[in-house]
Amino acid sequence: MLRFIRPVTVAGVLIAALALAGCATLRVNSYVERGADFTQYRSYAWAERGAFATGDPRLDNNRFFSQRVEEAVDMQLAARGFEKSGPGTADVLLHIHARMEQRLDTAAFDPIDGHCIDDECRPGVYDAGTLMVDFMDRRTNRLAWRGWAERSFDGVIENQEWMEATIDETVARILAQLPRKPL
Amino acid sequence: MGRQLLRATLVLTVGLLLTGCATIRVSSQTDHGIIWSNYKTFDWGLADALPAGDPRLEKDPFFRDHVAGAVEKAMATHGFVLSATTERPDVVIHYHANVAERVDPDYVDRDYGSCASDDCRPRVSRYEAGTMVVDVVDAATNVLIWRGWAQGSLEGVLGNRDRLRRRIDESVRQMFETLPSAR
Repeated sequence: MLRFIRPVTVAGVLIAALALAGCATLRVNSYVERGADFTQYRSYAWAERGAFATGDPRLDNNRFFSQRVEEAVDMQLAARGFEKSGPGTADVLLHIHARMEQRLDTAAFDPIDGHCIDDECRPGVYDAGTLMVDFMDRRTNRLAWRGWAERSFDGVIENQEWMEATIDETVARILAQLPRKPL
Repeated sequence: MGRQLLRATLVLTVGLLLTGCATIRVSSQTDHGIIWSNYKTFDWGLADALPAGDPRLEKDPFFRDHVAGAVEKAMATHGFVLSATTERPDVVIHYHANVAERVDPDYVDRDYGSCASDDCRPRVSRYEAGTMVVDVVDAATNVLIWRGWAQGSLEGVLGNRDRLRRRIDESVRQMFETLPSAR
């Protein structure tokens, strides 16, 4: 019986390890508010920047971070035909939220056999970041679309160029989920 | 024999690098378009309203004075002059300290590649991680032009004035090595 279970267990652990390794992966997701007609939105503006509580003191009130996010969003939306306009006339107002937290990743660790999968034999910790873009309908003041991404930010903030590249890539992946406009 | 020794040394080195208890990590971000020679004088800005995350650092005159002294010294070595009270400075400095609990995973016994304890769960130790952020802001435009920070474990530091003083000095010194010079 034991002999039969073993290979299955090993395979399961390997798959779990791959799924959980998570450090290099970028998970994106989004939803469209029920009833929101995305095709009517043509113009956008930035909502006033709120107090940016990110969970990481390096990113709080850090314009090198927040401006880069806004620039990346501007670029992606321009490429999709959205027009940037004033906050009094825009169809949608955009909000950005960012959140950092430390995660524990126990994938390197075989919980069944008591043996280590990799050489290091150490559960990993990494900084995980969530970046979220909200489209608020300016007239109804209701959320029309929300897209977000979650990824490792480990060591990223310490290197400004890497941070900028990470922001650009993450924003592009989030906004790639926007509903397409009919031609 | 030689191989084993090498391996043991490697493990020890990696262990020391990763535990990071006594190490200070510094980094900074800036706007690369800044012409630093335009800035000569500095002064202190108003204390920010962000919470330190630890009551031991709130309203602590020893901490405040020591940070201020260390930053003024570092600015002087970069050619900045503390502005006379009647003059408007070129840059204004803010700093912010934050303490947060973080976890550090412990190694599992690598020699055997198996667990020491019966339940074989990864063990983690908790520590108090400190972050000190220093902002240099253009006084005329009120725009952030440089942000430096230092991070490290504060275990045994906050309750010991000597260690705290040394830690502040070392953090500020290393952090300001990344500041472009005004000269």
